[in-house]
Amino acid sequence: MSKVIISAKNIRKSYKLSKKNIIEALRGVNIEVKEGDFSAIVGPSGCGKSTLMHILGLLDRPDEGELFIGDINIKTIKDRQAHKLRAKKIGFIFQGFNLIPTLTALENVMLAGRYGGMKKKERKERALKILKVLGLIDRVNHKPNELSGGQQQRVAIARALINDPAVILADEPTGELDSKTSLEIIEILKKLNKDNNQTFLLVTHNTDVANACKKIIKLKDGKNE
Amino acid sequence: MEILRNMWRRKFRTFLTIFGIVIGMFAFTVMGSMALKFNKMIDGGKRFITGQISIMPKGGSYMGSGGGMLPVDTLNKIAQIEGVDAVAAGIELSLEEPDPDDPTGSSISFGTPPTIEGTDLNSNHKNRNWLTLDMKDGRMLEKGDSDDKIVIGYTIALDKKWHVSDKVKIRGREFEVIGIIDKTMTGPDSYVFMPITPARELFIEANPFLKSLKEQSDNAAKISDRALAAMPTQTREQILQAKSFKVEDVNTMAAASWKDGEDSETVSNRIKDQFKDEVLVLSPVKMGEEIDKATVIFNAIILGVAIIALVVGGFSIINTMVMSISERTKEIGIKKAMGASSWSIAREYSLEAGIIGLLGGGIGMGLGVLTAILLNNKMASKGAEIFLIQSNFLIVVIVFSFIIGIIAGIIPAFRAARMKAVDAIREL
Repeated sequence: MSKVIISAKNIRKSYKLSKKNIIEALRGVNIEVKEGDFSAIVGPSGCGKSTLMHILGLLDRPDEGELFIGDINIKTIKDRQAHKLRAKKIGFIFQGFNLIPTLTALENVMLAGRYGGMKKKERKERALKILKVLGLIDRVNHKPNELSGGQQQRVAIARALINDPAVILADEPTGELDSKTSLEIIEILKKLNKDNNQTFLLVTHNTDVANACKKIIKLKDGKNE
Repeated sequence: MEILRNMWRRKFRTFLTIFGIVIGMFAFTVMGSMALKFNKMIDGGKRFITGQISIMPKGGSYMGSGGGMLPVDTLNKIAQIEGVDAVAAGIELSLEEPDPDDPTGSSISFGTPPTIEGTDLNSNHKNRNWLTLDMKDGRMLEKGDSDDKIVIGYTIALDKKWHVSDKVKIRGREFEVIGIIDKTMTGPDSYVFMPITPARELFIEANPFLKSLKEQSDNAAKISDRALAAMPTQTREQILQAKSFKVEDVNTMAAASWKDGEDSETVSNRIKDQFKDEVLVLSPVKMGEEIDKATVIFNAIILGVAIIALVVGGFSIINTMVMSISERTKEIGIKKAMGASSWSIAREYSLEAGIIGLLGGGIGMGLGVLTAILLNNKMASKGAEIFLIQSNFLIVVIVFSFIIGIIAGIIPAFRAARMKAVDAIREL
């Protein structure tokens, strides 16, 4: 039986926009991500997908419910320690690529390695290796604005991979790409899942992307559908 | 590296911020170098004045001879006071003969007018700091120097265009310059130091009353005791009185030194107590305090400039960093999502601010040093170098500007660090 990487039970989260306007983004979501999963969270806009993603990625805390990353109960760790767990166990891929504009492709990937505690030599070697696998070896010294959307997203994937995370959370990874490039990116993710047993949890609107996943988790009104 | 690129991203803004610090640090460097020179010069004068106990005849003033004399007997008695090592008589008189057409002098001079300082080189008295007076050229007068040797102050050398080994005329008499004292910004700048004998002769020459006394005394000395005995009583008494005039009594001032291990203040007070009816005593401590008062004001001005540079520079860095951070909220979010600790975010931004400070400080200091060197070179021909460039001070400027940057960066940096990752991410 595969190892459980993320286990979330009855997660609740609400935002107070003003005194009378409280939004209940999550109203008791349950989710389990196992090693080697390739799952998609789908649902209409405002169903709490992104909020759930932030909570699972330790960028935000749930109001209620239990969340385990591996065997660590996140209730037991302080905010100050959360960044270490985030750096080592979780990789992020964002919709808008979100590379640091002043850094080259290689430096962007290496920066994540630095936060993961890697030595300079090690992170450079590893970043080059990953970029090579992703077909970007001739682009390593280019800045994000010199790369196409697909190339930028591949750099972002490399960045998510460098610390060998237990899970990669991808928030609309193809949201800003044309359908052909979207397909390329999905193929890369699938290959990584297949070849390296890399676990992915995607958030998407795109049915093609969702259909490419092994497992689909549907959310509606802040709950599992 | 990333920090430099971030600064480069907003070239114009970074430039403006750095420019603000450049101005502050430029002013700090220039004013500071001036203060260093000023303090050094003052220190020279202070060392001289605090190296001795100055004694003046009652009724005289420190700046000029007010008529009183210090008889050699009194000086010898002072030398016997406990703790006094030696006493040297001195003569002080104006360097220039009064111009009959312009008795007050054609120019108004600030500070000490040019003055001859006759010093008894044979006395055992030594100004404690005598040999430590900085010489610009040549050497100080020493025991055994002939009567035609003089050492001149900085201003005298400048005004008269006198150089070492020049033969110069003072009040009709020829002297040879053997040394020039470095600028002290105090009395010694306007002094001509010479052995006491020629000074005394010049002093008597300039004073009709003393001159006639001396002539009478010289004439009286020619009269033999036998001839004197044959004279009428009244005449004889006049001649005896004339004979009693001793050139050695013509002293307008004196300097006393204290024995090793004695406290100059205690010794001064002893002299004061015993001879308060005859002399005025200026203790080294009191004179030093007077000089320090002047220095304190100047140093306070420099400190003021430094504080203004700090405040102006600091605020412009804070402003730049706050803007820079709000522009980069998204980036901070990404970095946090990648696992950056709050500390590493804070460090990154305060270092960026520190580098802005460092760059501004470096450029400002460079310009300041350049200005000081150029002005010094220009002024050197007039002999009035006003800047002292000290590497220690320059290091302080650099470190200071870096610290201003860091401190100014801390507030915005912590704002960045405290930013919640999820809020920053939402801007994506």
